[in-house]
Amino acid sequence: MHGWAGNRLRVDLTEGKATIEKLTPEYLRKWVGGRGLNSDIVYHETWEGMDPLDPANPLCFAAGPLTGTFSPLAGRTTVSALSPMTCSYRGTDVHGHGDTNMGGQFSTYLKYAGFDQIVVKGKAEKPVYIFIDDQNVEIRDAGHLWGVNVKPATKMIMEELGDPEIKVAIIGPAGENLVRFACVVNTFSSSGGRTGMGCVMGSKNLKAIAVRGTKPLTLANPEKFAEASWRLREIVHKSPSAIRRRLEGTFDLFDPANIIGINANKNHSTGYMPGIEDAYGGIPWTNKYLFRRKGCWSCPVSCGRYTYFKDGKYAGKHFGGPEMESACNLGPRIDSLDVDEVTYLTGMVNDLGMDSISAGAALSWSMEAFEKGLLTKEDTGGIEFKWADTETSKKVLEMIAYRQGFGNVLAEGNIRAAEIIGRGTDKIVPHCRGLEHISVDPRITTGFSLGYAMSTRGSDHLKNYSCLEFQGCAMSRKENVLDALGPELNEIFWKDFPAELNSFTTKPKLVTWSEKNKCVADLVGCCCQAIGSWGGAGDWRAYTPLFREATGFDIPDEEIFKAAERVINIERANWLRSGSARQDDTHIDRFFEEPVVDGPYKGLKIDRKEWEWAQDEYYMYHGWDKEGFITPEKASELGIEEIIPAMESGRKLYREYLKQNQ
Amino acid sequence: MVDLKEKVIVIDPDKCTGCHSCEMACSMKNFGKNHPYYSRIRINEFRDVNTFIPVTCQACEDASCVKVCPMGARYRKENGAIVTNEDVCIGCRACVYACHSGAPVINPETGKTMSCDKCAGEEKPWCVRACTMQQALQYVPKYMVSSVSGKKFAWELKEEYKPKAGKDDEPQFNFSFA
Repeated sequence: MHGWAGNRLRVDLTEGKATIEKLTPEYLRKWVGGRGLNSDIVYHETWEGMDPLDPANPLCFAAGPLTGTFSPLAGRTTVSALSPMTCSYRGTDVHGHGDTNMGGQFSTYLKYAGFDQIVVKGKAEKPVYIFIDDQNVEIRDAGHLWGVNVKPATKMIMEELGDPEIKVAIIGPAGENLVRFACVVNTFSSSGGRTGMGCVMGSKNLKAIAVRGTKPLTLANPEKFAEASWRLREIVHKSPSAIRRRLEGTFDLFDPANIIGINANKNHSTGYMPGIEDAYGGIPWTNKYLFRRKGCWSCPVSCGRYTYFKDGKYAGKHFGGPEMESACNLGPRIDSLDVDEVTYLTGMVNDLGMDSISAGAALSWSMEAFEKGLLTKEDTGGIEFKWADTETSKKVLEMIAYRQGFGNVLAEGNIRAAEIIGRGTDKIVPHCRGLEHISVDPRITTGFSLGYAMSTRGSDHLKNYSCLEFQGCAMSRKENVLDALGPELNEIFWKDFPAELNSFTTKPKLVTWSEKNKCVADLVGCCCQAIGSWGGAGDWRAYTPLFREATGFDIPDEEIFKAAERVINIERANWLRSGSARQDDTHIDRFFEEPVVDGPYKGLKIDRKEWEWAQDEYYMYHGWDKEGFITPEKASELGIEEIIPAMESGRKLYREYLKQNQ
Repeated sequence: MVDLKEKVIVIDPDKCTGCHSCEMACSMKNFGKNHPYYSRIRINEFRDVNTFIPVTCQACEDASCVKVCPMGARYRKENGAIVTNEDVCIGCRACVYACHSGAPVINPETGKTMSCDKCAGEEKPWCVRACTMQQALQYVPKYMVSSVSGKKFAWELKEEYKPKAGKDDEPQFNFSFA
């Protein structure tokens, strides 16, 4: 087999056994790789009503067919399982598909060891870690690693195994203590943060997975593959946005986001913050803190940062990161412009093994609730939350990771914490399906807004990635807009441009296209940035020639796009079968009722009628029905007929919910 | 006489981000497979401090690997690169130990040693091409080696020596070696 390694490793921790399965070409053609392999397993090996902390929950790590090859940007790992973090309006005990994507080097070496995917099930009696040495799999004791932070624990494993080239995916204390938004971290600081995959790992008593891989990957047509890789590489080398991303990292997004006022400042209550460009702007931050860039596997751009404090309170401290989302959610979101402290917080959160977005959301939610008097000192055990109070934040983050005091409540994730506290605190949790929003205001950018609500893992921009709605991106990729929208809507798009940013007219179609576009990158195991936000590389078609030359599968572009659609549908089916349908594809009332308070879009809010219309349209473009369920025709078209009975039982649960809440 | 126009690979570890693109390019070019072990350039990783040192054969003028080889298998090619003649090599690895940076690596398919041939016949070695954005690897003529690797030092000095503000005859240093 070329491109793929061709094997799936299954580890049962209860039995302490490992088995290797061969993957057939037909199977790989259907699910392609990465996110596809994982979503297939997560749907078919979990059931409606399953507890994500149940030992049977399959924790999957997967690489794509291009991961670990000469293809640029090919270093992504997808981690999936039933998510402990997300929930539905039907109840916080309803769970659905969860996945997260991380860079670094883990999946590359997984493939060099001869595996496309690891599926971990069961629960070990005591803390263990898995050591994969090519085809030999060993389950080793991790008692001495339990309770150790990410960075030192990774080092300890490397020292123990006596090989600095071993790649480790690990959880921190947060994952061990089952913090619902714990993350998995590989190669020291590349984190898969969202949806609490670290929590699932912790529930299995699995501290880490270490990989050593020594076998090369073969390619079907090496010469043509090299040619195609060079083509994509040269495009990336010349792309102005990629060059800026290299210089400033993802911090280059702070400025534009602030100018249009879409940041998540003060728990999403305002999107504009004067002074942000001097504090968090790409150039000032880089000049002050950047030690050296940090590259994921085979990525010429290397947007990863490595922080080193030259002076100040934290002089001498150094760690990987942060990335724009981390800094924004732990900074402006808690109203802090103290970059020293915020940068330190991001490093701390990473080392404790928590999702920085959800951690920032937990802090900002507490601060807003405290300000409004919804949360009192009695609830918090004497802690006083104030905006921009980084000292308290530091203390609270540690309390969350170790589940001490009020941290025990916050560790449940915002929506569950709000359920525990009550008093209407759930009204100030900006979330979809229990996962907190990232730092883009859903009232202004309608494409992102729709994408959040429809995302198959709860609120998230990386499932739709509809960057085409932004002015600069659309201008440099006009042919993609035409491809996504078709001639008719394309005309409307450009007629309203750039005011279409907050009109829903063209967005349902744009979002359906963008979802599949992004999914292709996840399937082949590459980074979405080249096909998402950068002008140069274009769309998902950038990766299809590489896919064909690497694997030797002579399949048309459209089939890969179809596979992406199949994957989105199966992830959605995971939600639908537990009755989480149209009622969850929406935002909290706040975004429909409270207008934006400042910035150029002051006074804007989402119109309920327009939203309903957009939902309908979106379902139509996907071939789903008005309740948001996948129709039997669509399921058979995609070759996933097995979901049809589950859709019917899910519909019953959904209608029951509607009846109760009328 | 040394041919000063002969091009060599110059390494600046400070710019390396540890993305391993060069290794992928090298293994792709020479084996049509992908793995760092199949590459003649290697990045030594110290990821806990985010430090990466790319090491590749520098084709020394007075090369110890050539002297130490018991079979005389190490020889200089026309383009200046020093490579192993695998027909003669016995795989004793003496050249690896004799090299000050351990640059020759083991060919995983034959067990003999191999080292950079600067992609003879190509305009630029593939590893350098793959590092276009980061410029940790550059392919420059020998007469430019010091100016490239000393550039950072010169930039620092420039700050000290540049004319005082207000004078309009400030020299411009913004040329590039790319």
